[in-house]
Amino acid sequence: MSTHTLKITSHVRSVALAVVAVPLLFVAIAALQARIDVLSAPVTQDKEELVLRSASLLKKLSLGYDPLLADIYWTRAVQYYGTRLQNRSGSFELLAPLLNIAATLDPKLLIVYQFGGIFLSDHPPGGAGRPDLAVELVKRGITANPNEWRLYYNLGFIYYTRLKDYQKASRAFLEGSETPAAPLWMKFMAARVAENGESLETSRFIWAELYDSTKDESVRKTALEHVQELDAEIALKRLNQVSEVYWKKFGRFPTSMQELRSAGLVEGDLNDPAGYPYVMGPNGIPQLDPHSSVKIESQRKP
Amino acid sequence: MSTMPAVVAVHTFREAVRDRVLYNLIIFALMMIGGAILVGEISIGVQQMVIVNLGLSAISIFGIIMAIFIGVGLVHKEMEKRTLYSLLAKPIRRWEFLVGKFAGLLLTLLVNTALMTLGLTAALYYVSRTFERSEVAILVAVYFILLELALITALALFFSCFSSPLLSTLYTLGIYVAGVFALDIKGVGEYTQSPAMAAGARFVYYLLPNFHNFNVIAAAAHGETIPFTLIWHNTLYAALYVILILVAASAVFSGRNLK
Repeated sequence: MSTHTLKITSHVRSVALAVVAVPLLFVAIAALQARIDVLSAPVTQDKEELVLRSASLLKKLSLGYDPLLADIYWTRAVQYYGTRLQNRSGSFELLAPLLNIAATLDPKLLIVYQFGGIFLSDHPPGGAGRPDLAVELVKRGITANPNEWRLYYNLGFIYYTRLKDYQKASRAFLEGSETPAAPLWMKFMAARVAENGESLETSRFIWAELYDSTKDESVRKTALEHVQELDAEIALKRLNQVSEVYWKKFGRFPTSMQELRSAGLVEGDLNDPAGYPYVMGPNGIPQLDPHSSVKIESQRKP
Repeated sequence: MSTMPAVVAVHTFREAVRDRVLYNLIIFALMMIGGAILVGEISIGVQQMVIVNLGLSAISIFGIIMAIFIGVGLVHKEMEKRTLYSLLAKPIRRWEFLVGKFAGLLLTLLVNTALMTLGLTAALYYVSRTFERSEVAILVAVYFILLELALITALALFFSCFSSPLLSTLYTLGIYVAGVFALDIKGVGEYTQSPAMAAGARFVYYLLPNFHNFNVIAAAAHGETIPFTLIWHNTLYAALYVILILVAASAVFSGRNLK
C-alpha cells in the first residue's frame, strides 16, 4: 500500500470517528449539563451582589462605551426584576441601584425612568413598593430630559396611583402638558385629578392611558388588570346603588341579580370584565363571582 | 500503548519554560503581596474574602490568557518553524501529535496554577495567620479553574488546526465569552416567551461549553462546601468535552495538506 493511500485511509478513519463520536458526545454532554444545572444551583447561584455601585466610576471605566454599558445595566435590571417576580421572592433590594447606574450611564435612556419607575413603585410582590425611590428616579429623568411629556405622565402616575397625592399628580400632569409634544389629554387629566382625584373613573382613565401608551407586555398586563378591576368596582358600585333602590321599594334586600332584573331596575348583561356574572352577596351587596379572574382590592386574598 | 504523546507533551512543556512563560508568576506574586498588604489597610472583616476573590480571579485570568495565546500557536508555530514536517516524518500519528501538544500545555498550566495556588495560600496565611477547613473549597475552585483551562486549551488547539493564530484567538475568545454567558443565553430565550426562541436558546446552551459550571469563586470566598457529586460531574463534563474537541481536531488535522 502506498504512503498516499495510507494517509487517505487514516484521514477517512479520523473523519468517520468524528462523525460518530461527536454527536454521541454532545448528547452525553447535554445530559450531564442538565444534571450539573441541578447540582450547581446552590453553589453558583447569584449572591445578590452589586460589586460596583458607583455609577460615576463605572462611567469612567466604560472607556466611552457608557451607552452600551447602560443598555447592559438596564437589561440586567429587567432580568433581576423578572427573576424576582417569577420566584415571588418579594425583595427587590438591587433594583434601585441597578436603575440608577443605567440612568447615570445614559441619562437619555427614557425606558429606565418609564418602566423603572413602575417596577419600583408597584406594590409587592409585583414591585419593590418604593414609590419614593420611583419619584426620585423619574424626577432625575425629567431633569435630564425636560421636554419628554411621558416622564411627567409617569411622575403624575406614581403620585396618583401609589402615593395618592392628587395635588402633586395634577401638577406633574399640568407641567407635562406644557411640553412641546404633549397630547391634549394631559391638560384634561391635570384638571380631572385636581378636581376629583379619588374617583374610580379618573383612576380608570389613567390606567387605560398607560395601557394604550405602552408596548411592553408585562406593563400592559398590569395596566389591563387594573382597568378590569376598576371596571368591576364601578359596576359593583352602581349595582349597590340599585340594590338600595330595591330595598327602598320592597323593604328587603334582593337575594339574586334576577330579582333586580325582574323589578326592572337593571337590564342587559351583568357580567364582569372576565365574563363571569356578578352575584348577589348577603344584605344585598353585589359581588364578583369567586371563580372570576378579576380581583378587586376588598376581595383579594392577603 | 504509544508513548509518543507523552514525548511531545514533555517537549511542549520544556519549550514553554524556555519561552519564559512562567514569568507571569512574578506578576502574580507581586499582586498577591500587594493585595494582602493593601487589603489589610483599607478593609475591615473581608480581608480573607478579598484575597480569595483576587487570587482565584488572577489564577483564572492568567491561566486563560496562557491557554489561549499559547494554545493557538501550538500547531502554527511548528509549521512556521517547519519542525512539524520532520516530526511527522517520524513514526508519530497526527492525532498523537495533537494529544501530546494538548497534554504539554496542560502540564504547563498545571505547574503554573499550582505555584499560583501556593502564592495564594501564603497570602491567605499572612492575612489570617491560620488555615481553616473551609479553605478546602479554594482548592476545589482551583481544580475547577484547571478543568476550565483544559477546555480552553482544547478549543484553542482545535482552531489552530485550520486557522491563523489571530483568528484562532478570536474564535476561542468568542466561544469562551459565549460559554461564560451560556446561562444568560438560555435565560433570554425563556424571557422572550416564544417557544421557538426558548428551544433555540436551550439548544445553544447545551451546545456551548458551559464555563459557568466551573465558576465557584464566590462560593469558595464565602467558605461554602462544594458537593462531591458536582466535582465529579464537572470532571466528567470537562473530560467528555475535551475528548469531543480533540476528536474533531484530529479529524480536521488529519485531512490538512501540510505541503
